[in-house]
Amino acid sequence: MPNNFALGNGKPWSRRQLLQLGLAGAGVTGAAGLWQMLNLQSKSTVKVPPLNIEAPDDATNPMKMLRDFDYGTVKQENGRTIREFQLTAGTSIIKLNSAVSYNIWDLNGRIPGPTLRAKQGDRIRVLFLNNAGHSHSLHFHGVHPAEMDGVRPISNGSATIYEFDAEPYGVHLYHCHIEPVTRHIAKGLYGMFIIDPPTPRPPADEIVLVMGGYDVNDDSHNDYYAFNGLPHYYMHHPIGIYKDQLIRLYVLNIIEYDPAVTFHLHANFFDVYRYGMTMTPSEKADVITMGVAERHILEFAFRYPGKYMFHPHQDAIAENGCMGQFEVLAEKNSQNPVKHS
Amino acid sequence: MIKLRYICLAAAATLIVTLSSCSSTPTAENPSAPVASPPATEAVSNNSHSGHSSKEKININTAILSELDKFEGKLGVPALSNKIQANRPYGSPEDLVTKKVITQEQFDQIKDQVGVQEVVLTGEAKDVDYMSKLGLMKGHLLVARELLDQNQPKQAEPHIGHPVEEIYVDVEDQLNERKVKEFKTTLVSLQDLVKSSPKDSKVKTSFTSSVQAVDGAIAALPEAQRSKPGFTLQVINELLDSANSEYRAAIADGKITAPIEYQDSRGFVFYANELYKGISSQVAQADPEAHKAIDTSFAELIKVWPAAIPPAKAVKTPNDVTKLVKTIEENSQKVVDKSNTQAQR
Ligand SMILES: [Cu+2]
Repeated sequence: MPNNFALGNGKPWSRRQLLQLGLAGAGVTGAAGLWQMLNLQSKSTVKVPPLNIEAPDDATNPMKMLRDFDYGTVKQENGRTIREFQLTAGTSIIKLNSAVSYNIWDLNGRIPGPTLRAKQGDRIRVLFLNNAGHSHSLHFHGVHPAEMDGVRPISNGSATIYEFDAEPYGVHLYHCHIEPVTRHIAKGLYGMFIIDPPTPRPPADEIVLVMGGYDVNDDSHNDYYAFNGLPHYYMHHPIGIYKDQLIRLYVLNIIEYDPAVTFHLHANFFDVYRYGMTMTPSEKADVITMGVAERHILEFAFRYPGKYMFHPHQDAIAENGCMGQFEVLAEKNSQNPVKHS
Repeated sequence: MIKLRYICLAAAATLIVTLSSCSSTPTAENPSAPVASPPATEAVSNNSHSGHSSKEKININTAILSELDKFEGKLGVPALSNKIQANRPYGSPEDLVTKKVITQEQFDQIKDQVGVQEVVLTGEAKDVDYMSKLGLMKGHLLVARELLDQNQPKQAEPHIGHPVEEIYVDVEDQLNERKVKEFKTTLVSLQDLVKSSPKDSKVKTSFTSSVQAVDGAIAALPEAQRSKPGFTLQVINELLDSANSEYRAAIADGKITAPIEYQDSRGFVFYANELYKGISSQVAQADPEAHKAIDTSFAELIKVWPAAIPPAKAVKTPNDVTKLVKTIEENSQKVVDKSNTQAQR
């Protein structure tokens, strides 16, 4: 597999050399480690309501996915930061509603797959194991050599290693690239891939929203839609945020079969950072159009407490599950857990 | 799980990649300086290692149990082979220690033999892989034919597509070397035909040429090898392993909700059963008990797919199917091990 040329030939450090440098087995160290700590610390200056996470034991847990970032395992190899991620494709069943169960392909037991996060310039190493029957692959958006493009099928029971540099900074994604790609994506093999800029963005309550569709009868037409895996979940379990707190939404549209959807936020406007590839917003909007695989950073704060919906303004799509709401809480220092009805 | 896991092989055919036997000048990067754009081609630019001789290593990401048994034997750790398998994937050999599979002291004893790199498969392992890929194609085509015969071209179409979309690339590089004519064109034109004009009388002839092409590729392996139980059983278990995962992906709440995966698993199991029939009398002779277990399990397994069009209710749960597949795997392993020891004598 060409992918692995990178590891064999592009990874020029032996174990012995690492030992000489005293770096072997090093955990979170150096610049990258510091950046990660800053990320976590800046989070602590941000007010985030405590969550009552109900833990369904299937592949969906939208409340947990909101602010769950996978920074991988950081290794220092010859002065270079390697961020190693492990992704395993499997099969699982999710309940789209009380009557409909649906078979998905999951990544690390969840849909969407983990939100991978790195800093520009990190070396990314993804160990991919396919235990999901069909051949699958992982194709990352970003800039990398052809060998790392992840379009080659990895057969059932096989593993492969993708290795490339994290660039450019922005909100990206990864997904399976085996034909029919529509089906392989719609059944769950996708996730968000965030590359942070060299200079961190200002502190904010950072939230991930991935819009997906489900075609339950294989007729190339979606029957259900969802934010972060489960239809209507955030309507019934509003996302708690604090009044006047800067919210940074990482939004990805990975709805197959529908050419484009919008993202609309009630009672507010947001700053748009297209593809997350700038530090200054390009515009202010309350509706933004997103084609398949488009993703942006949207920033806003709410001035008044209360519940505010968000959804694509293709209302049929919203009504079939792609709908949720924020619950803006007035007491910034409140220790009361958010009530979920 | 007893299975052959290969990190894609085909394109690596000209390179033997092993990690620690290759050393080269490290590219220095100052970690504190922002790394704006590291050379994007770095990953493939250091291709100067082909001259290195590399010692045979066991790829802990892909090796079959009997190979991993070498570590188990050397370290005297019971069930170590299974433990190594269960903790896949490994980014580096050292992960055996970081993942607490073995201790540092134990690792030091075997580190020269451990690899995580894809290696060029040679000998039997390469042939098992090749035959398994073609076997999967056979399974897809088998169920596609059933569906075409039942006048269900729409349902047949994905199974005609899968061989070329998911599998062909893995055997492509080997076809030349095995003197097999390319047959991607044949598969693709069948797919085009079924998609665009399924009623066309050409579908039949095109289908026949596709099946013949796959059969021809299989025939590139010597008959003597294909009739060897130790070889064919490994292929059978590869097929069953895929069938098992596909079946699991087809069932929700006791109902078959994903017909495509049901049909895939049907094709794989039926072709595996066909292969077993070809060697069953030899297996019966070599190991009557193993044969009995395999034979009974296959008989049970076949019942799970009563027809190409799925029944309303699943005949068996995915767990039951897994159990049957495991039984076949375990008993096959006995036969494979036996034939290996005989071969070594
Ligand atoms: Cu896939």
